[in-house]
Amino acid sequence: MIRLNNIEKVYRTDTVETLAINGISLDIAKGEFLSIMGPSGCGKSTLLNIMGLLDEPSKGSIKIDEQDISRFSDQKLARFRNQKLGFIFQSYHLINDLRVLDNVELPLLYRNSSAKERKLLATAALEKVGLSNRLKHFPSQLSGGQRQRVAIARAIVGNPQIILADEPTGNLDSAMGNEIMDILINLNKNEGTTIVMVTHDESMAHKTHRLVRLFDGSQVQ
Amino acid sequence: MFKHLFKLIWNKRKQNFLFLSEILVSFLVIFAVFSFLTYYYQNYSKPLGFDYKKVWSIYYENGELTKNRDSLAIFYENLNKSLKSMPQIEEVTFSSGNFPYSDSFMSTGLTQNGKKFNMVSHFVVGTDYKKVWNVSLLEGRWFMPEDLVSKNKGIVINETLKKAVFGNTNATGKLIGDYDDKEKMKVLGVVQDVKSNGDFAPAGNAMFVQLDSGYYRDTHNILIKVREGADANFESQLYKFMATSVKNAVEIKHLDQMRDSKNGVTIIPMVIFIIIASFLIINVALGLFGVLWYNINKRKAEIGLRRAIGASGNSVSNQLIMEAMILATISLIVGCFFAVQFPLMSVFNIPASAYFIAILLSVIFIYVLVLLCSLYPGKQAAAIHPAIALHEE
Repeated sequence: MIRLNNIEKVYRTDTVETLAINGISLDIAKGEFLSIMGPSGCGKSTLLNIMGLLDEPSKGSIKIDEQDISRFSDQKLARFRNQKLGFIFQSYHLINDLRVLDNVELPLLYRNSSAKERKLLATAALEKVGLSNRLKHFPSQLSGGQRQRVAIARAIVGNPQIILADEPTGNLDSAMGNEIMDILINLNKNEGTTIVMVTHDESMAHKTHRLVRLFDGSQVQ
Repeated sequence: MFKHLFKLIWNKRKQNFLFLSEILVSFLVIFAVFSFLTYYYQNYSKPLGFDYKKVWSIYYENGELTKNRDSLAIFYENLNKSLKSMPQIEEVTFSSGNFPYSDSFMSTGLTQNGKKFNMVSHFVVGTDYKKVWNVSLLEGRWFMPEDLVSKNKGIVINETLKKAVFGNTNATGKLIGDYDDKEKMKVLGVVQDVKSNGDFAPAGNAMFVQLDSGYYRDTHNILIKVREGADANFESQLYKFMATSVKNAVEIKHLDQMRDSKNGVTIIPMVIFIIIASFLIINVALGLFGVLWYNINKRKAEIGLRRAIGASGNSVSNQLIMEAMILATISLIVGCFFAVQFPLMSVFNIPASAYFIAILLSVIFIYVLVLLCSLYPGKQAAAIHPAIALHEE
């Protein structure tokens, strides 16, 4: 599903050159639930951004669903992200000025779907995460766990094949974290969604199919 | 997408208040400038209706002249003949003080079928007034000396007054009442509108009445049309001749200079107004630019998120421009509501068409201003790296 081949990422300033990812090759199968662990600054989020086509590798190639995305235009990359990928972030990244339903509808705005269809799909996604009674709320009126569930609904509303989650339980207490993790596991199990999750939490990582450990930009496990 | 953006703007209405107010104030200022400019342009584009070149006005004090009506008539007849006999002078006429480009204004009212027509410029003129100014006759005829003894006082009216009183029908030969409808006057002819208050002022309603000997005591102005070659030497000779004739102070003015001065009364305040408005608009443009720039910096995480979920750089840029345009539209709707009251209430006596053109021009101006101010911030937003933006809180 996702094939990373000898990925390198170097951040350059006028004086300093930082190697964030150092020759990582990784194959992630369809339907796999993979977790990435490692200390802060080891390149986990950078690797996830590269997989999510939000960042370009300095070297190496990436194939998703057998498509080489290195020659994609900005327009094509955007469409690809919209149709194939879903994102979940540690800090939720909800738009505070939009209601829950509108936040979940966001990815569908970049497709040719009607308002009626958007509302239907967003409501269904919110039902899946158990928030069908919070459609008209603003994010500021929700708890952290609820906000993350909204973010998950937003990630799954477009029915993507891959979900990339950057520390989805990082801002939550363990009970809330477990709830979120259960939702992700169910998504993986029931919908067959491929999930790549960056986490600091060993117990969460052990709930996934495979664990990849990074250290100083290199894969150590 | 439009509905989504509208929702976003509505939910952020408090934050957008500054932006909305800036646009509203700029629209109203621009509307004021464009209203006057359109009005002046509409007046300017109409024909002048007379020829001011080579026309001089001679003002004299008449206190030393005889009070005897007959003697005064003979004096003026002789004066007219003497002036006409000068080779440099082509035409001569006597006039009331409110001749074109003078600072005098004399108005009266007329009555037709019980309807009053007020603020009609009232020109008392000699028989050769038309020749001096080269005024075009549209129908009927100009004054003849025998009109002074006709049953109904003869008047010549201008095109605007004719349309107001008689519509599109012929006015020549018809009678019209004076301001209290006690005396009926006969329309002898209709002349083209004469913009006597400068190029930028409307002709308005005007009527011409023939100067008779009874008005000589109040006559202080002679208008002459000079020939090519009438120079400063001639002006000096003319001055001496007039001073000797009227035994009093004389002032000679050139109508082309009076025209410049009259136009200056409109142009100078307008230029000052435009300069002040331009500074305001520059400030508003910088303000808008700043607000949009600030918004983008505040919304980096949102921009990153939108990029992650499927927005291209262009669509992020377009979204920000569209948001600015929607905000501008909201302000313009409010602004237009206020602006439309001006033609509805006929404020400042400016024609409704000038106001409506000004509204249209102001709307276009504001949209262009907002578009220009949002293009660069929009482009910068498109260039925001999603991976970096997503790490912004």
